Amino acid sequence: MKPFSIAWSNVRRMLRERSNIFFVFIFPIALILLIGVQFGGGVDPIVGTFSADDGDLSQEIHAAIEAGESFDVIVYETEEALVDAVELGSVQAGVFLPAGMDAATAEGTPVEIGYVARPDGFGAQMQAIVNSIVAEVMMPVGAAQYAAAETGQPFTTALAASQSIADSLQVSPVDVSYLGEALFPASLGQFDLGAASQLILFVFLTAMAGSAALILTRQLGISARMLSTPTSVGQIVVGESLGRFGVALVQGVYIMVLTLIIFSVNWGDPIGAIMLLIFFSAVGAGAGMLMGSVFSNDQQASGMGVMLSLGLAALGGCMLPIELFPPTMRTVAHVTPHAWALDGFAELVRRGGTVVDILPELGVLAAYAAALFALASWRLRVAITRP
Amino acid sequence: MTDILTVNGLVKSFDDFVAVNGVSFSIDEGETFGLLGPNGAGKTTSISMISGLLESDGGEVHVAGDRVATSSTKAKAHIGLVPQDLAIYPDLTASENLSFFGRLYGMTGDDLSKRVDQVLEVVGLSERRDDLSKEFSGGMKRRLNIGVGLLHKPRLLILDEPTVGVDPQSRNAILESVEQLSGEGMAVLYTTHYMEEAERLCDRVAIIDEGQIQAEGTRRELVSMVGEKDKVTIAGGGALSSSIPAIEGLAGVTGVSATEQQLDVLAEDASSILPQLLAAVTDAGGSISGVEVFEPNLEAVFLHLTGKALRD
Ligand SMILES: Nc1ncnc2c1ncn2[C@@H]1O[C@H](COP(=O)(O)OP(=O)(O)O)[C@@H](O)[C@H]1O
Ligand SMILES: [Mg+2]
Repeated sequence: MKPFSIAWSNVRRMLRERSNIFFVFIFPIALILLIGVQFGGGVDPIVGTFSADDGDLSQEIHAAIEAGESFDVIVYETEEALVDAVELGSVQAGVFLPAGMDAATAEGTPVEIGYVARPDGFGAQMQAIVNSIVAEVMMPVGAAQYAAAETGQPFTTALAASQSIADSLQVSPVDVSYLGEALFPASLGQFDLGAASQLILFVFLTAMAGSAALILTRQLGISARMLSTPTSVGQIVVGESLGRFGVALVQGVYIMVLTLIIFSVNWGDPIGAIMLLIFFSAVGAGAGMLMGSVFSNDQQASGMGVMLSLGLAALGGCMLPIELFPPTMRTVAHVTPHAWALDGFAELVRRGGTVVDILPELGVLAAYAAALFALASWRLRVAITRP
Repeated sequence: MTDILTVNGLVKSFDDFVAVNGVSFSIDEGETFGLLGPNGAGKTTSISMISGLLESDGGEVHVAGDRVATSSTKAKAHIGLVPQDLAIYPDLTASENLSFFGRLYGMTGDDLSKRVDQVLEVVGLSERRDDLSKEFSGGMKRRLNIGVGLLHKPRLLILDEPTVGVDPQSRNAILESVEQLSGEGMAVLYTTHYMEEAERLCDRVAIIDEGQIQAEGTRRELVSMVGEKDKVTIAGGGALSSSIPAIEGLAGVTGVSATEQQLDVLAEDASSILPQLLAAVTDAGGSISGVEVFEPNLEAVFLHLTGKALRD
């Protein structure tokens, strides 16, 4: 009962602060929106292209992409250079045009156009646009293939005929396969991965910011006053922890529900997603408690909290997808709870996993939370009883 | 009388510095006890140990028979602490602050909300109950701070310098409510460095300096303990000096001196012999034009005990 009173006073005070309302509830959604819908204006994203040869079709597709208005285009000389550029984020997506496309289409064999993108929201959106551009170029080709096969005419004759009527006719485009699909399935909504990353980033950030509130409570002498009532140190520690946890959880549920309603974000199995959120909120709350117990200056703690939160988020794959990390970095990334939580969401969202499939991730998060809470309550106990 | 609080040999050091050095005293049920001493004397440190916020290096505290420690919730249920520095949430309203601490004192539901209303009334904040405490004046914050300590009707109310930095009007309101609570039977431990407050409120006073209690007793006991006497000055004329033998015979008189227009008398308890004193002068044929009584205060006692003034 008493811990809940302490927790509730924390949540109530957090909700009362207008700047908190902005950073906890408005800012994350705005960011998800911004990352999901980047074509609305501002700086155009950049697509890198690489053509393996100088064939007619390559040149034509390339020209069509460049003519597009939705993004800028940079041409790369080697495949590796383009992959690096995508990984480093200097271009948001790369289009790979293979060698011998002219010959292949003449023979009627399907061509594979490579597409690689960062799954931060730009990728899926741009893929749709690249898709339609390529389709537009390939449509007459497909029609010619169809005509040649049906009529027995030579492909080149059929192609010339189909190109001449392409502008006035709607023909369904040929299938073009994209190499990038294994990494980011086409079914993935444009907001899905961005939303999970933002959720994790902000829940942790908010929990860390809660450290300042704890320090203030100590500075104001309120922790001491709580101890002067028939309330044990243990109850105070649990109450303050629950407060941090509650705030993180409220924000997380809010982000999940709102993005589900507005952007139709797919969070995967609901029980699994809620479990991940609960466990990750506990990790954040534990970290916030530890900060709030170790530091005695709220501004120092806020500054450190933000730095740490952003650092861990970056390292954990909330800013650049972990799939694009070099293997060693991928291992290092799993020092952060963020990487484990993201793995969990990836399992739920991309591979349709259920709560059983994310048990390892939940276990790791539980271990983090337990360790952080143990350390924090030890420190807070000392801070409260030996002022 | 039974003791509500007994403090026995409290010691506390911060590194090499001994802040509290063997403090002992006890307070009766319903009594108001003052801890009077200058800044840095060790009042707050003692209070912190007495209310179970600070682990002592030595000594014991019992409240209503229960031993106080940082981990003891039983003893703490008897105590209402009003800390020296404000300890209220600035971003909660007056009534939210009271409800919050009320729950920590174990109150719930109707009991709690009724008691919150009562306490708001007592500290004069009913009108402002739904305003955030950060919008309050200094005096109002102090009153809310005191209100928190009253919620559970503690048997022992501990107030640590509750009037510091408060305007005269609020200060008077605070002193009056302490008098009222004491009148209702609550025992009060009141620390201050204002001699007048200790004299006005307290049944007994302990004078503390440099972590040690220098003397303890009622004001009168303390005054006589250090040999300070009341002084009566009678202005007049006629045969003032001829009354000297009669005055010297009065109980508690320790010295008399006279000039043509003035008679000075030193006595243990001036007010109790004043009628006899005046009668002695007129009986001897003297005339009286004015009488002044000087009772030595705790300031003088403090000066005598420590060789320094109470206010630095
Ligand atoms: N936490 C602390 N660390 C070091 N010294 C302290 C601490 N608290 C109090 N002191 C010192 O102990 C002495 C007594 O302080 P305090 O009990 O606050 O005095 P008072 O309340 O009578 O003004 C002072 O000299 C003060 O500086
Ligand atoms: Mg003090």
